[in-house]
Amino acid sequence: MRGLFCTLASRLPGEWPATAAAHRGNCLRCQAEAARDRTVRRGLAALADDVVPAPGGLEAAVLRGLGKQDAADPRRALVARIAARHAAAAGLAAATLVAVGAGLLRRHSRALG
Amino acid sequence: MTAGEVQHGEEDILARARMGDREAFGDLVGRYQDTVYTLALRLVGPDLAADVAQEALLRAWRALPRFRGEASFGTWLHRITVNTAWTLRKRARRHAVEPLETDVEDRGLLPERAGELAETRAGLRRALAALTPGQRAVVALRDVYGWSNAEPARGLGITEITAKVRLHRARLRLRTLLEGAR
Repeated sequence: MRGLFCTLASRLPGEWPATAAAHRGNCLRCQAEAARDRTVRRGLAALADDVVPAPGGLEAAVLRGLGKQDAADPRRALVARIAARHAAAAGLAAATLVAVGAGLLRRHSRALG
Repeated sequence: MTAGEVQHGEEDILARARMGDREAFGDLVGRYQDTVYTLALRLVGPDLAADVAQEALLRAWRALPRFRGEASFGTWLHRITVNTAWTLRKRARRHAVEPLETDVEDRGLLPERAGELAETRAGLRRALAALTPGQRAVVALRDVYGWSNAEPARGLGITEITAKVRLHRARLRLRTLLEGAR
């Protein structure tokens, strides 16, 4: 049972809930898991210092390609994608509501007639 | 030159670049091109990294009048790079896992420590390359670049829950890969 709890706790994403945190305080297996996790994270954080030199012609290519500054939103593609996703979700929700409403109305009119 | 003078110097260059001074922007490109390229490399792999870096710097130039200085210029540039990487990656439909960095410097270390660290880092880079592009992007932004929990989600246009799940899976996979390699 204890092993199962450890396995579940290690597979759950996000912050540990209070009960799991209390369990970890007393569980060597979970503490070892957390230590392994910290080692990986420390290693990853150290990669931030690694810098790969850009290809030789990059700066010149950028300067050649400079056009007019138009204050365009550099995130517009992302914003458009998120807006499209929200619109699709809203459309689906609206269609579901209409379908459910129509079904209820039909049932109600059948019951009356 | 002190750090404060460097900072002041950059503010001056930035102000001139915002007014449309191409030479000043050239200075900024010179300062930031390596970090932008490295981030692009981590996000999309070597085939697309130069295109991403170039496009990100061009987008930054176009958008510079919008830059309000709420974050540092480097952070702002990194956000544009992430967005550009995702757009170009989708456009190129490169969903396959690609090899990542081939030649990364380990600078300023004692030789004996440098060898050990270089080995660890090489292992981590290989493990990172084995992740899916989505997992790799989240783990790079969160654990390598130290972005907050919410920022990778915003930058990649995914929900925070999706970002957390990807991050968790990525860390588990990295651990498995690194322990398997020993």
